[in-house]
Amino acid sequence: MEKKEQYLLGVKTALPVILGILPVAVAFAVLSEHSGLTMLETILMSTLVFAGASQIMAVSMLVAGAGILPIVLATFILNFRHVIMGTCVMNRMLATPMWKRAILCFGVTDESFAIFTTTEETNNTPYYFAGVISVTYSTWVLGTIAGCAASQFLPVLVSRSLGIALFAMFIGLVIPNVRKNIELGFLVLLTAFLNVIFNCFMPSSWAVICATLTGAFLGIFFVKEHQEEITK
Amino acid sequence: MKIFFLILGMALVTYFGRILPVLFLGEKTNRPRVEKFLSLIPYSAMTALVFPGVLSVDKDFMAIGVVGALTALTLSWLNMSITFVVIGAILVNMLMYAM
Repeated sequence: MEKKEQYLLGVKTALPVILGILPVAVAFAVLSEHSGLTMLETILMSTLVFAGASQIMAVSMLVAGAGILPIVLATFILNFRHVIMGTCVMNRMLATPMWKRAILCFGVTDESFAIFTTTEETNNTPYYFAGVISVTYSTWVLGTIAGCAASQFLPVLVSRSLGIALFAMFIGLVIPNVRKNIELGFLVLLTAFLNVIFNCFMPSSWAVICATLTGAFLGIFFVKEHQEEITK
Repeated sequence: MKIFFLILGMALVTYFGRILPVLFLGEKTNRPRVEKFLSLIPYSAMTALVFPGVLSVDKDFMAIGVVGALTALTLSWLNMSITFVVIGAILVNMLMYAM
């Protein structure tokens, strides 16, 4: 297939994901403006960071009065999953020059990872991936701009209701895996419990980090090998 | 200025995680425990972010978070796509605010 065709196929495959990204982008923009960031800062964050969950977490932590260091650290930990996802993605384009992969890796997100790794391997070319991330990135940035523009006159009813979007997205990402592997369910319960305990002793931003690391560490000992959707 | 440094810091650590596999792929780790730890991070991280944080989505109206989360839980348990899980939870919360 021509490079251009591969690119367009990537674009086409990623189109349905717009529906999933857009509400989160709008929710982020609204929350961000409510937390005191300017429109420019909000758009800049979407453009440079391009990791929705961590961005929403960041502005929520700002509202809670957290400092820069805990937020950056929490971002690092939350986004560390990109190492695993990026490994799967890059593993399918090892022949691509490193400088190209260094650019493409910026587009590794939950969504692009999910689309790319569930496509037939024959379609797993850098051009196809470039098509996928063109859609996810432009949706994310344009959705943020739209959210900023709309936040002024978005009904309070709507903007308040968007607060649940991030939580719903996380739940939607975790639960299908819990269904397939009951031990992950124990991991979820254990981590939630740990987080409540840590919350008694430290600010919630640090509690999240401690619970994440402790939970995953303890999980090593009781979660069975499987992780098909992550490693394959 | 503080926000600018925050954005820069977040951008750097996020890109760092993304470029690691580009730089080091090929060198297979012989430490399955490390890989397993990394593979479990997403689940523990997302859990820690949802609970108990979801209870204070609306500090004055705790049911918003509880019912919203339960809606998302139910929809995803029914194998709905992320899109419907997110939109479903938002709609249910909108309904609760409207009532």
